Amino acid sequence: MFSFTIRSFFQKLATLFFISIVSFLVVYLAPGEPSQIDPLNPKFTAEDLARFRAEFNLDKPLHVQYYLFYKNLFTGELKSWKDNQPVLGKVKERFMNSLWLFIIGTLITWCLSFPVGISAAIKRGSFFDRSTTFVAYVLISIPSFFFAYILIDFVVKTFSISVIGMQTFGMQSASPVYQVMDRIWHMVIPSILGALGGIALLSRYVRAQMLEVIHQDYIRTAKAKGLSEDMVNYKHGFRNALLPFVTMFGLILPGLIGGSVIIESIFAWPGMGRMGFEAILARDYPIILTINFIAAVLVLIGTFISDLLYMVVDPRIRL
Amino acid sequence: MERTDEHTKELHLGMADEVSRFTEAWRIFRKNRPALWGMIIFIIFFIVAVVGLVLTYGNDPVLDPAKVRLSEKLLQPFSPVNTEMIRLEDKPFLNMYLLGTDDLGRDIFARMMQGAWVSLTVGFVAVGISVLIGIVLGGLAGYYGAVRITLMDVLGLIAVSVSLIFLASGQGDLSVRAFLIAGVCMIFSFAYYVFVRGRRNHKMLGFLFVDTFTVDTLIMRFVDVMLCFPSFFLILTIVAVLPASIYNIMIVIGMTSWMGTARFVRAEFLSLREQDFVSAARVMGISDASIIFRHMIPNAVAPVLVSATIGIAGAILTEAALSFLGFGVPPPHATWGNILSNGQRFLYDAPWLIYIPGLSILVVVLSFNLFGEGLRDALNPKLRKR
Amino acid sequence: MLTKKILIFLPVLIFVILLQSFFWAPTYDEQVRGNPHRLEEFITASSGDAKILNPVLNADSASSTIVGQVFDGMIDRDEELKFRGRLATGWDIYEEAYFYINPEATIDGKRMAGPEEIKELILARRGKGIIRDSSLQDALSNIKNIEIIHAQTSERDIQLPGPDQNGDGLPDAVTVRVRLAPPPRLKITLKSVDQDFFKYLEGILGKGYFETFPSDRYAEILTKGQEDKLSVTAREVLPAIEHNPVILFRLREGVRFHDGHEFDAGDVRFTYQSIMDTRNLSPRIPDYEPVKRLEVMDKHTVRIVYKRLYSPAFGTWGMGILPEHLLNAEALRKEAEAKGSDPDTFTMRDSDFNRRPVGTGPFVFREWKSDQYIALDRNEDYWEGPPNYRRYTYRIVPDLLTQEMEFYGGAIDDYGVQPHQVARLKNDPRYQHFSSLSFGYSYIGYNMRRELFRDKRVRKALGMAIDTDKIIKYVMYDQAERITGPFVKQTDYYDKSIKPLPYDPEGALNLLHEAGWKKNSDGMLEKDGKIFAFTLITNNGNPIRKNILTIAQDAWKKIGIDVKTDLVEWAVFIGKYVNTGKFDALVLGWSMGIDPDLYQIWHSSQTNENQLNFAGFVNKEADDLIIKIRQEYDFDKQVAYSHKLHRIIADEQPYTFLFVRKATAILDKKIVIREYSESGEEIIRRISPTKTGNYTYYFNKWIKLATSPEFDTE
Repeated sequence: MFSFTIRSFFQKLATLFFISIVSFLVVYLAPGEPSQIDPLNPKFTAEDLARFRAEFNLDKPLHVQYYLFYKNLFTGELKSWKDNQPVLGKVKERFMNSLWLFIIGTLITWCLSFPVGISAAIKRGSFFDRSTTFVAYVLISIPSFFFAYILIDFVVKTFSISVIGMQTFGMQSASPVYQVMDRIWHMVIPSILGALGGIALLSRYVRAQMLEVIHQDYIRTAKAKGLSEDMVNYKHGFRNALLPFVTMFGLILPGLIGGSVIIESIFAWPGMGRMGFEAILARDYPIILTINFIAAVLVLIGTFISDLLYMVVDPRIRL
Repeated sequence: MERTDEHTKELHLGMADEVSRFTEAWRIFRKNRPALWGMIIFIIFFIVAVVGLVLTYGNDPVLDPAKVRLSEKLLQPFSPVNTEMIRLEDKPFLNMYLLGTDDLGRDIFARMMQGAWVSLTVGFVAVGISVLIGIVLGGLAGYYGAVRITLMDVLGLIAVSVSLIFLASGQGDLSVRAFLIAGVCMIFSFAYYVFVRGRRNHKMLGFLFVDTFTVDTLIMRFVDVMLCFPSFFLILTIVAVLPASIYNIMIVIGMTSWMGTARFVRAEFLSLREQDFVSAARVMGISDASIIFRHMIPNAVAPVLVSATIGIAGAILTEAALSFLGFGVPPPHATWGNILSNGQRFLYDAPWLIYIPGLSILVVVLSFNLFGEGLRDALNPKLRKR
Repeated sequence: MLTKKILIFLPVLIFVILLQSFFWAPTYDEQVRGNPHRLEEFITASSGDAKILNPVLNADSASSTIVGQVFDGMIDRDEELKFRGRLATGWDIYEEAYFYINPEATIDGKRMAGPEEIKELILARRGKGIIRDSSLQDALSNIKNIEIIHAQTSERDIQLPGPDQNGDGLPDAVTVRVRLAPPPRLKITLKSVDQDFFKYLEGILGKGYFETFPSDRYAEILTKGQEDKLSVTAREVLPAIEHNPVILFRLREGVRFHDGHEFDAGDVRFTYQSIMDTRNLSPRIPDYEPVKRLEVMDKHTVRIVYKRLYSPAFGTWGMGILPEHLLNAEALRKEAEAKGSDPDTFTMRDSDFNRRPVGTGPFVFREWKSDQYIALDRNEDYWEGPPNYRRYTYRIVPDLLTQEMEFYGGAIDDYGVQPHQVARLKNDPRYQHFSSLSFGYSYIGYNMRRELFRDKRVRKALGMAIDTDKIIKYVMYDQAERITGPFVKQTDYYDKSIKPLPYDPEGALNLLHEAGWKKNSDGMLEKDGKIFAFTLITNNGNPIRKNILTIAQDAWKKIGIDVKTDLVEWAVFIGKYVNTGKFDALVLGWSMGIDPDLYQIWHSSQTNENQLNFAGFVNKEADDLIIKIRQEYDFDKQVAYSHKLHRIIADEQPYTFLFVRKATAILDKKIVIREYSESGEEIIRRISPTKTGNYTYYFNKWIKLATSPEFDTE
């Protein structure tokens, strides 16, 4: 157990090192220059441009740039090219914003997927099962921005109410109750939209898992013993079906950054995904690389946790 | 255990069993109503795409998706042509805009027809690339996974990649130098395999041929590295920095989505490798290539097919999402994704510009997904039992 | 069964909590729900965030908007686009002209080397009305004062361009030491700037008086091995003539920065020094490079002396003035120490000031949440009286459609309305709308280095093949006007009598025939066996440019030109195509200043890589006029030169000038102007744009009412 942990840790560290190299190369070898070196500023001379380039270390050889970049990242001195703000501070602020959306989204996903998946499995082949299956497929097939626009259009046109951003603007002097409720309201639609894909996938997975379990011998035995349907399904069935999902807790972490670009752009939500997208447009290399790096760290931590959980939950597994 | 039996049987009986397996799968598939519908829509879509290609191809096509008629902009579906404003040769097919026009007065019907083919191509080529990479790397890891590579090979690999990096950053002379080093490494490596391997007493440069790690480790670590990138963000970064072109988008989507295929091809190969019919084949002296292509790939192809079908759906969605962010397939190609993202500005003025491509994407992607799932159920003997 | 109950109850609970919040959020019609102060806040939306809130460092439009509210410049433009004092209450512009006595020259057959003699001569000519030439008479009566300067012998180091040794393709600087022993010099103070003054003076002193001044006789190079540079050096350090325009600003008294510190001449000097401090990397350096020195005369008077004639210089003083006490070396050192940074490398760019600026403007900075909003409060002590709105909020909403939705939701008061939305919203009874021409224009630019576009007739034909009026009507929804040349259309510099190119494909074909292009059997134009084909590019992300691209391609195809189009990502577009000059034709826009200086975009010296005359426009006559305009301080003369230049450019057609956009604003009708009469009575009136169409000119008097007001019909 201990040796596995250590070995796994160093393996992940090595992976991280390679990721840092690959992502650095992808970004730095790209054509085009950061928008700060805006060559269409009519009054920039060649010397001004050279000075900007020196400021961003762009005049140095690649490996030196690589070294400087990660040195600055770890010492916290890395600054965004766009506004000279420390990258870590910016990322932290955005991270907290994304976190809220993520928590609500995850909550919705997990709370909804289980009841739906379990019922579908128990009533296999019923209308409920077939319709939820179909809806699940529709949800993973619909382009998210298309759906978002339809939904926003509907809400805004019907209720004339603001749904964009983290709060309704001009609320700063309202009482705290109004402000809190307003903030919650603004989280409703984006978090539901963000959760849809997850609900579809997870409920399908729960259904499959549950089906597997209720065909096991011990469930049949329990039924034969005359235990009530609910008792069998929820006590014996659900608990055993739950097992694999414990390990999935680790794997939801990366979702924090992954698919949020579009939802955050549409809803003007100042989160990580949108920051990343804007950084791409502005060629703000430090931000792009930092987000990639953090995403990689999250994935690695996630898999690490899920490996550990797997071992704890299922002692037969020896990795 | 039952799988072993099946495969052994196959080795003996050959083709006859193939046919019965196919009819068996079809029997199961036919019962799955949504999957059947999925397949029907899939086929219709395919026909539409081909017809679309024919009708919109060439200099003077029947349906011209690029014809600008500014006076006819933002017309509703089924609008007739305003004959006073339009020159005779600019008239659309059937003298009517079946699905309306966009902000430049281009015929949406023509654009949708062209877009069907382009979207389909994007999906197929991207998935083709990803499946190819997945099978090659997964197969290597699965079949030759246990082979260890020497330090010299590692040095060679590093030199090749350094050379490529220098090439990409425009330092040609350094690139050539690194490439020469790589070449030297390869020659040494080759010489080692031919002359020295097997003899224990290599003294001088022995340390260079110390075994390091296995092929499996190398490939699977690489898969891990790729999986660590947030995929959509990575695609976006690359597409944003590359010149916009339909080929780049297909390549980038393909290059960033092969990891799943690689993983289960490896798993399939690992399990197949241990099966009796493969061992038997090896004992009979059949070459590796022949084993892989004649026996292993056909057996691993079913799950690849399933994931490819679903992968096409994913690629179409990814292209639409990229279009939405302004990095999709550039004009003159129309795709459903860029019709949708162009039309999004006119949500209040011309809602059909959003609903027509949006719903089309939904229906087609849905059909691919249902079809893929149905295939999985039909082809996976393990699930059949339930 | 507890598990089952939890499984059902939990999602229901979560959804109830989430959805009930709907009843607390304010709607468009009830913006004051739970929040009565909403009416005193103005919220505007932009798709991009500000970068740096410092008037000497910012370069993007979002930052400029905020900086404009927080800082005041010395001057700005009034309703008629004339200059108006802000932090300055008044100013004088005059000139100090210098020339060296030329001992070689003969005047009226006599050799006159004494400075007193020359001075007397000039004064004598001015005094009597004996000169028949009236313009010379005018030039002389412009003289206020003449002084004689006897120079001392001195030694100086100067930098000269030398051979390129570090291999960057640019000449390296060589330092040369010179000893100067110049002859006496006359300093003539003129009442107003006159770029032709020395020309008139030659009328008295004789032709070639200044040209023949032997400057190398008075200089000696001391650095070994560089003696061959003598004549270049001497011309540089001892120019025969020198124009030194002077601006004298009188500053407003009693103005305070938002932190209570009083504004004075020191702050003006500090702002100038901050720009010129190369460590700050200010993008404004080129604007202020012509400044020779800035002198603080007293607490409320500043005198700025320029090295040479440069009329755009005055307009640059619209830039916001920084508070010296918060940003001087001492303050920065303290901040660096508090942050634990190295004080030697800590510059203004690193200061937190750029995230929470302090100025003298009508609004006080309160808060900035990156990519969310920037919030300002009104300045209660503003010297012109506080604005009506208590708050000004600048929201960042990246997606254009969501901006529109937020506007309907009532969470935005103002946003950049797209042309196609204007048509729809104009007729909505809830809104009022204002249109004004913007300061920029869109064009199709041709690369005149290419053989294909070298012929004027070809460029003209390409322009005539495009139906610009149709573009304006259908792409711009009439939210644009045609433009024929490079000046801002609503200024006097723009010559309104010049007719735009007609839409005439037949005429275009005739012109192309004249230029040697004939239709071949495929219907394509051909000359010397080559088909007329090129690539038209623009950047992606701009739907209007994309539409122009498509329309142009279609229009040219019709007359038999094979045009390929390409959309390129902005950074690549600029870096790989525009800057290197590796393009055929492009669709792009210029955003202009009001000043008529066109040097960077149209002068023939600006055609190299990374310079802005990427179209490669070279025209001797235009060059002369461009120089004359930037050296002319008299408005009427500038206008005359500009009209001439406009005509040349319109005739040459290096660009197909398309249109200048109209910016249309849609506002809620509840937003009005509120003023108080002298008796303290409240007067509510409708918002009215100025003559130039600027509706935000009276922004500080705007306020939002709870209900839509009724006005008498106008």
